[in-house]
Amino acid sequence: MPSPATYEQRRQTAGLFLLAPSIVVLLAILGYPIVESLLLAFQKVQLAAGGIDRQFVGLANFQRLVADETFRRALLNTLYFAAAEVVLVVLIAFAIALLLNHPFGRAGLFRILLVVPWAIAPVANAVLWKWILNANYGVLNGLLQSLGIIDVYQVWLGTPVSALNFLLLVDVWKSVPFVALLLLAGLQRVPSVLYKAAYMDGASRLQTLMHVTLPSMRAAIAVAVVLQTIWSLRIFDLVFVLTRGGPADATVLLNFLAYRVTFNFLDIGYGAAIANVIFVMTILLAILYIRLVRPAGEAAR
Amino acid sequence: MSPSPSSTPLAIELRGVAKTFGSVPVCRDVDLAIAAGEFVTLLGPSGCGKTTTLNMVAGLEDCTSGDILLAGRRVNELSPVERDVAMVFQNYALYPHMTVAQNIGFTLRMRGTPRAEIDRRVKDVTTALELSHVVDRLPAQLSGGQQQRVAIGRAIVREPRIFLFDEPFSNLDAALRVKMRAEVKQLHRRLGVTSLFVTHDQEEAMSISDRIAVMNRGRVEQFGTPEEIYARPATRYVASFIGNPQIELLSGIVEAHEGGPVVRIGSELVRLASSLNTPAGRSVDIGVRPEHVRLGSGTLAGRVRLVQPVGPSSHVVIEWDGGSLIAAQPGFCRLQPGEPIRAEISAADVMVFDHASGVRLSQGMPRAN
Amino acid sequence: MSYAHHRRGGFSLRLLTGAGLVLFVIWSAAPILWLALSSVLEQRALIARPPDLSPQNLTLSNFITVIGSAAALGRGMLNSLIVALFATLASLALGAPAAYALARLSVPRASAIAFLVLATQMLPSIAIAIPLFLVISRLGLIDNLFSLGVVYLSFNLPIVIWILRNFFLGIPDGLEKAAAIDGAGVIGTFWHIVLPISLPPLGAAAVFAFVEAWNEFFFALILTRQSAQTVPLVIAAFAGQYQTVFGQMMAAALISVVPVILLAVLFRDWIVRGFADGMMKG
Ligand SMILES: Nc1ncnc2c1ncn2[C@@H]1O[C@H](COP(=O)(O)OP(=O)(O)OP(=O)(O)O)[C@@H](O)[C@H]1O
Ligand SMILES: [Mg+2]
Repeated sequence: MPSPATYEQRRQTAGLFLLAPSIVVLLAILGYPIVESLLLAFQKVQLAAGGIDRQFVGLANFQRLVADETFRRALLNTLYFAAAEVVLVVLIAFAIALLLNHPFGRAGLFRILLVVPWAIAPVANAVLWKWILNANYGVLNGLLQSLGIIDVYQVWLGTPVSALNFLLLVDVWKSVPFVALLLLAGLQRVPSVLYKAAYMDGASRLQTLMHVTLPSMRAAIAVAVVLQTIWSLRIFDLVFVLTRGGPADATVLLNFLAYRVTFNFLDIGYGAAIANVIFVMTILLAILYIRLVRPAGEAAR
Repeated sequence: MSPSPSSTPLAIELRGVAKTFGSVPVCRDVDLAIAAGEFVTLLGPSGCGKTTTLNMVAGLEDCTSGDILLAGRRVNELSPVERDVAMVFQNYALYPHMTVAQNIGFTLRMRGTPRAEIDRRVKDVTTALELSHVVDRLPAQLSGGQQQRVAIGRAIVREPRIFLFDEPFSNLDAALRVKMRAEVKQLHRRLGVTSLFVTHDQEEAMSISDRIAVMNRGRVEQFGTPEEIYARPATRYVASFIGNPQIELLSGIVEAHEGGPVVRIGSELVRLASSLNTPAGRSVDIGVRPEHVRLGSGTLAGRVRLVQPVGPSSHVVIEWDGGSLIAAQPGFCRLQPGEPIRAEISAADVMVFDHASGVRLSQGMPRAN
Repeated sequence: MSYAHHRRGGFSLRLLTGAGLVLFVIWSAAPILWLALSSVLEQRALIARPPDLSPQNLTLSNFITVIGSAAALGRGMLNSLIVALFATLASLALGAPAAYALARLSVPRASAIAFLVLATQMLPSIAIAIPLFLVISRLGLIDNLFSLGVVYLSFNLPIVIWILRNFFLGIPDGLEKAAAIDGAGVIGTFWHIVLPISLPPLGAAAVFAFVEAWNEFFFALILTRQSAQTVPLVIAAFAGQYQTVFGQMMAAALISVVPVILLAVLFRDWIVRGFADGMMKG
């Protein structure tokens, strides 16, 4: 016979029991690596025969970062990539969300087109685009030549600037639909009485967009921007399959650099230091995200 | 049914019950003693703590202090199942994924009742509530009145010790509400189960209850029969909350006058019962039920401000320099706004409240027999 | 002009919208169509300049060759299925109760915990990959489906908790109170009342978890060698080895994405409601 407990007490006790397994799993799998990753960044790690030799070196790894030309290149690439991707993705996604919110855009086909690119594996996507962009037989070359836009087949991934921008294009294509879904959800949450009121007040469409839609969508857009930035910082598969960082490290993004330093060059401490840079950038963005969604959440409780 | 003498233990007893959410007090010092078989209503405006009180009786919410006793036993630490209460919720709270029969049978299933018996009892209840033809429908496929009946069926299927109703009719239209009221009353008569009913509708409370507890800001202002509440309100709040149209309260100072105390309201004097034992100079509020104001002749002189016919009677607002009153006149009233008029109020009908505390000083209307 | 009529707009707006929608369809569908088309064309048709799309070049030989010769693809699909199913079921089994606790069971500091949980999902994979790799290799669990599944579980769990918690927050509390009065305990209420009315968000969470696990590449690359390779690795390797056999490459890629595309299309409404809405609120 359990000791008597009220409804509220029982719920609280049960709550702790139901929550505990998830917390334990998360702490066990993620908690230790997070701490360890912070520590590794201050160590020199060498793979000795059959074991790992670790030695604290203070800030040495971070000092190397400052002087490292490749790191600086990767950082700039990443900043450009993330900024351009966020702007492009959010603009295109917003346009699509507006289109799909129009009475014409209600057809089921459109929703299907939004979830398919999201579901495709980044690797499959990269393989597909590698074929589309192929320098000798790619359909993009074929198409542009047929249309008379180019004279000869181009090596799209062959020059630094072009390669980075095509990488960007491919990731934008893959990222747009999901952000469009987010923004469409936001659009559909704008109370329709606001539109009706604006119509009654004789507002033009542009005025309605500027004064009704955009202000109501501010939170949704902000969330989309922050999330997309976080996702852009994580790009890996695409670089790995499409360019391997080339040509001339033009498409080396921070994530890929950390991977290469760690797992190809086996420079584990230094790789961890690069990882920490990404970590800090993401954490800052995550805090921003939480700030943005939190007021809505608190009000809902 | 009137409260029986306390030879048997009280069915429900609240002793000094209080509840605070965080630091916000929601219920304060609630004392209630409800006899077995009684039908008691908690009546009060929105947000006064009715649901919270009911939830504490049900065991859905802990009380911050005080004791709750059911059948003489302290139940503060018991969960709802152990208290053996049934409850009808404000928005019905029907399980949307279960059919009518499953909704009603769920409580029996949770108690491990054998399948065949569940079926039999659900059948009895659905027949009694005229739900037999919809037993296989989901709640979303029912009308409001049918949903309401399912909620009641869920409560009566297991013959609990106590019924709790939280504004069960607030989502029904006026006609259906009156019908369901009669059905619940009949159900109570048939089953005789102690019932605690919550509403903010005074007419509903008056028509259905043995006794009414009028709540205001988390306190019980008065606990009595509908008649007591109406005729002898304990406080100014109860007087103004009960009655339609709402009573008009007028503030003034008691003056000694030949033939008894009076209160001066602007240019007019209102006589108070001579039995009222109040020194001159006291600040009081007075109120008169509209049906006790007789128009045509009398000592009070004013003008008609407004006439509102409401069908069986008309409400006439009379005003004079510094005050106004509502009078109820039977039938259609042909008075015109602006017309001078005289009114008469019997001193015994004037309710007098202490201005500072709101407590009633006059004896109020004699018991009508 | 009626409001409904106004919403569709004048001629120019409708023209603009129609054109926009056509552009959108082309932009989204063209690469996928090309994927499908390339997979059923002969190599000689694909390497013509421009590609020769005439019907006599259609063939199923790419699929036959890929399915027949590349045993790795079949094993990769099977591995992916096992890992994704495990990660999905385990994350729902652990995450749904946790989300319920955080949403409704007055756990102290519930919203702070929920945000911390979500924050773990935002960690860059590379940051945890290094120590995770070190630990798992020390345990001798490299190239092991179970260790990969557990890692995916830890990525999926926060998302599952987040989606479901947002839904559970919106359940009217009358239902739980009614269940308590009806004699259900906390677990009984969760099982008999809360879960059955949460099928759409559970479905959304499941599809999301499955798709993420099926598609994951980075950790699969680090934590597997041979026998536990999942399908993205097989495709990536295939694309490296046979990068000139374009039709077969596309056939393999198509096979690998069909299961998740089907899931996403079938459950699109749930995904839209469960996930898109969920990310917008805290
Ligand atoms: N969980 C809670 N946390 C904080 N405050 C609460 C909570 N539940 C109720 N309250 C507050 O307590 C007060 C009383 O609430 P209660 O639901 O008991 O009112 P009520 O009399 O039933 O009103 P109504 O007629 O509107 O149902 C309200 O002011 C309400 O805002
Ligand atoms: Mg209430």
